Amino acid sequence: MDHQQDVVSPEITFQHQHSDADFRKRVRKTTIILSILTAIELGFGLTIYTIHKGENPNPTLVLMFKGMISILTLAKAYYIVSVFMHLGDEIRNMIMTIVVPLLLFIWFITAFIYEGNSYKNLRNRYDPHFRETMMPSQHHKADTAVKTQGGKE
Amino acid sequence: MSTTATVHQTKWWSGGKSPFNLEYGKLMMWYFLMSDAFTFGAFLISYGAIRFSQNFWPDPNAVFNAFPGMGHQNLPLAFVSVMTFILIISSVTMVLAVHAGHNQNKNGVIKWIAWTIVGGLAFLSCQAWEWHHLLTGGHGVLVDGKIQMAVQNMRGNPWGKLVENTTALTAALNNTPHETLVQLIHFHDHTKTLQELAAMPDTQLRGMIDLAEMHIREKGPVAFGGYFFGITGFHGFHVFSGVIINSIMLIMTKKGVFERKGHYLMIEKAGLYWHFVDLVWVFVFLCFYLI
Amino acid sequence: MSEEMNTPQEVVTTHEVHHDEHHVHHHKETFITKYIFSQDHKTIGKQFLITGIIWAIIGGLFSVLFRLQLGYPDQHFPILETFFGHWAKGGQIQPEFYYALITMHGTVLVFFVLTAGLSGTFANLLIPLQIGARDMAAPLLNMLSYWFFFMASVVMVSSLFISTGPAAGGWTVYPPLSALGQASEGSKLGMDLWIVSMALFVVSSLLGGLNYISTILNMRTKGMSMTRLPLTIWALFFTAILGVLSFPVLLSGLILLLFDRNLGTSFYLSDIVVNGQVLPNEGGSAILFQHLFWFLGHPEVYIIILPAMGIASEILSVNSRKPIFGYMAMVGSLFAITVLAFLVWAHHMFVTGLNPFLGSIFVLLTLLIAVPSAIKVFNWLTTLWRGNIRFFPSTLFAIGFVSLFISGGLTGIFLGNSTIDIHLHDTMFIVAHFHIVMGVAGMFGMFAGIYHWFPKMFGRYLNSTLGYIHFWVTMIGAYLIFWPMHYEGLAGMPRRYLDKSSWVSFSQFADLDRMITIVSILVFAVQLMFVFNFFYSIFKGRKVTSQNPWGSNTLEWTTPIRPGHGNWEGEIPEVHRWAYDYGKDGREFIPQVEPIGANESTH
Repeated sequence: MDHQQDVVSPEITFQHQHSDADFRKRVRKTTIILSILTAIELGFGLTIYTIHKGENPNPTLVLMFKGMISILTLAKAYYIVSVFMHLGDEIRNMIMTIVVPLLLFIWFITAFIYEGNSYKNLRNRYDPHFRETMMPSQHHKADTAVKTQGGKE
Repeated sequence: MSTTATVHQTKWWSGGKSPFNLEYGKLMMWYFLMSDAFTFGAFLISYGAIRFSQNFWPDPNAVFNAFPGMGHQNLPLAFVSVMTFILIISSVTMVLAVHAGHNQNKNGVIKWIAWTIVGGLAFLSCQAWEWHHLLTGGHGVLVDGKIQMAVQNMRGNPWGKLVENTTALTAALNNTPHETLVQLIHFHDHTKTLQELAAMPDTQLRGMIDLAEMHIREKGPVAFGGYFFGITGFHGFHVFSGVIINSIMLIMTKKGVFERKGHYLMIEKAGLYWHFVDLVWVFVFLCFYLI
Repeated sequence: MSEEMNTPQEVVTTHEVHHDEHHVHHHKETFITKYIFSQDHKTIGKQFLITGIIWAIIGGLFSVLFRLQLGYPDQHFPILETFFGHWAKGGQIQPEFYYALITMHGTVLVFFVLTAGLSGTFANLLIPLQIGARDMAAPLLNMLSYWFFFMASVVMVSSLFISTGPAAGGWTVYPPLSALGQASEGSKLGMDLWIVSMALFVVSSLLGGLNYISTILNMRTKGMSMTRLPLTIWALFFTAILGVLSFPVLLSGLILLLFDRNLGTSFYLSDIVVNGQVLPNEGGSAILFQHLFWFLGHPEVYIIILPAMGIASEILSVNSRKPIFGYMAMVGSLFAITVLAFLVWAHHMFVTGLNPFLGSIFVLLTLLIAVPSAIKVFNWLTTLWRGNIRFFPSTLFAIGFVSLFISGGLTGIFLGNSTIDIHLHDTMFIVAHFHIVMGVAGMFGMFAGIYHWFPKMFGRYLNSTLGYIHFWVTMIGAYLIFWPMHYEGLAGMPRRYLDKSSWVSFSQFADLDRMITIVSILVFAVQLMFVFNFFYSIFKGRKVTSQNPWGSNTLEWTTPIRPGHGNWEGEIPEVHRWAYDYGKDGREFIPQVEPIGANESTH
């Protein structure tokens, strides 16, 4: 059939133009960005690991690194959705129909996590067994041994 | 029947244009993915809620530190980063397949979608290895004054606190039955076969055990295994169905179905699904392996 | 699939050809393709409706049975033993049977009748007809949506006939009761079937919802901008969004529940002793399930009520011959309700041990719902105000809907406050509240819709006399049944108990309970009369002779009296105005297809 490319469907009024060279450049760039972000994430992950190994692990520092990893993950998600899934090329209203419902996750996550934390506090207060058996007295130190641990295979 | 099918499958359209400049199938795929994002979101958020409700959670660096063929070496995050890169690369090949479809380049589509399938299968194999490793490779755990061999499965987690009370451990070792002693030693030291070890008396076995090296732990939070296998399993199921979908696309492309149709929109839809699978992995990677 | 190569642009230019073809195949269609595996949205809508009616009879019958127990706890009805055997030993409903009945009553009515039967019916019927489309975006998926619902129904029905009986842990299936087979008869196989059935139902709702959303967004006819859509379509649009975003969360929760039941995981279980046996499960949280359940469960009640709101808006405007009051406010409040629906789920859980601070935020968000709800009520009343109202059965049901929505909604404000909820939680007060505001109001919306669009569905009218009887008995009956429950609940009478006669403090309500039971049997009988009217009128009702019997503006009345697959003969009409030009410039109504006149006044 000899259609032109821009009438693949009557619902589509205009086709996004990708010049081949441009497109390849964009994909290459995004791939590199994703790889670098992942590498940085892994670096942070290993940093957390070394912090845990140290004598006095600083929980705030660990939390900070975890926060940075989360932000990097969101950046990765942005690149995948906007470039690989071409959402960035769609018209604005379409983008909004996808992005706006995702905002529901904010409250979804906040409420669930807050509730989980509150459940922990309640049990620590009223359930001595739970508190004693699971309290991480020396949680951070405990993992120092991991470096030489090999008993798994 | 074939004429009826014409009526059923024709896209009647007289509204002029799509407000989103998208054909309905792609729109439906997007909204399906939205909905699926809420399925995964609910899983991961439940995991978060449970994790926050625990006083102790295993360090992923301790749990995921093995690499195929590397024996007992401690390589935290190494294997999972390989898996992550496999999925990212397969996402890239999918983008190239979709692009080839835009250019009506049949051979390009075939080539890139085949690579995507390879990537998907590679990822699934990695996951199978990792599951197998966790489900079979146990280590010593202190339970009720005895040492047990325990593995990571849906019902139990062996990655609790490290036991540092040596007297308690020594006492526990004396309560530990013969079979467990044999397993413990065999696990760390392959120089003797199980039969040889089993023939030795308990006292000799106990002498062979260096408690400091065994890193005996307590039991960890049970929910860890349930969520890990549940969520990575659900994700693996998505990868698997993505591979199936891509294989169907490959066959249809080879048969020239899209060529005759004049467009490769189906490839785009399959591509959206595949990228979504990659996207979910980004978050699974975050929640289980990194933080 | 191969026919899809039929190139679309051909279709646009050769409408007439297709249209002719269309008539040709009409004769070729077999019974199976026309009535069973039909891809025509109108037929699918009717399938949803009729399946929903069958479910409503089953679910209603369950309520009559357990009302019999509540009204006459000491009486023996030997006929029950004849039918139900050991479930009603000695003619008395046994506890397991009672719990199975209330569980199934809730599940069936909430999901199978008021979700599938209501939005399934009217979304399928009205969306293509009112936006001016030939069919849904994906007719095949649309058909599958019904058949997944059908499979869900089959699984659910089959659970009624197994020896341990259906799920019996309440329609909310809270673990640990639902997670432990040894906990009760109803937690055994029946519970697994319940989960499987609901999973199929989620698939059905997803397939339907995706179709509704993309159809409304993408397939509107020329000139049908979003702000010209009838409010029914807006309501169904938001309903579909609610379903698409919230049902998956239920699915996740149920998958985890299934794992807990069958794989020994501990997502919801911790520190449990059953019959003196300590279970190994540890570290889970039963409240987590409630969170996941209500993340769906709350949007679910709006999935039920929004279509009813849309239908009522449309019918009130048509039959009071006045434009809907505050169209944009109506759309805005639908939107606000949709957003809030996702933010308030934990107000069902104030007494679970939910963190009180978190609870207070949920109170705040919950009370906000009063604002859009009040806007809607105000607009319905002002639409009726000084209108030239035609009191058809559909109008009466729509007005009844508003009445019920007000009286049920007001008690929602009580319950939304966590402090008051501590007293009222799990009492008959809450039963009264949600039955009035969601159950009966949802049913009223459905009845209004059926009376209004029956001529479009079947080309015949329902009998009006029976319709009036149906309305008045149901309306008065609903208030007689549920109003007294408020008093019982305020006095502290718990729900879900099968025999309250041992409490001296509730003995004063024995007569009241008996009255409720008698009325509910009467109301149930009248519903059967409606079902008779429905099926009788399909075949023998008065025939519709004019294209637009109600003098309505919307597009479905521009189709032939019995539209074929494809809806319009010839071109799809173009839309030039909103749907509510009633009583304008001295004319009773101006259909949407009429171009704006030169001298026409503006709003």
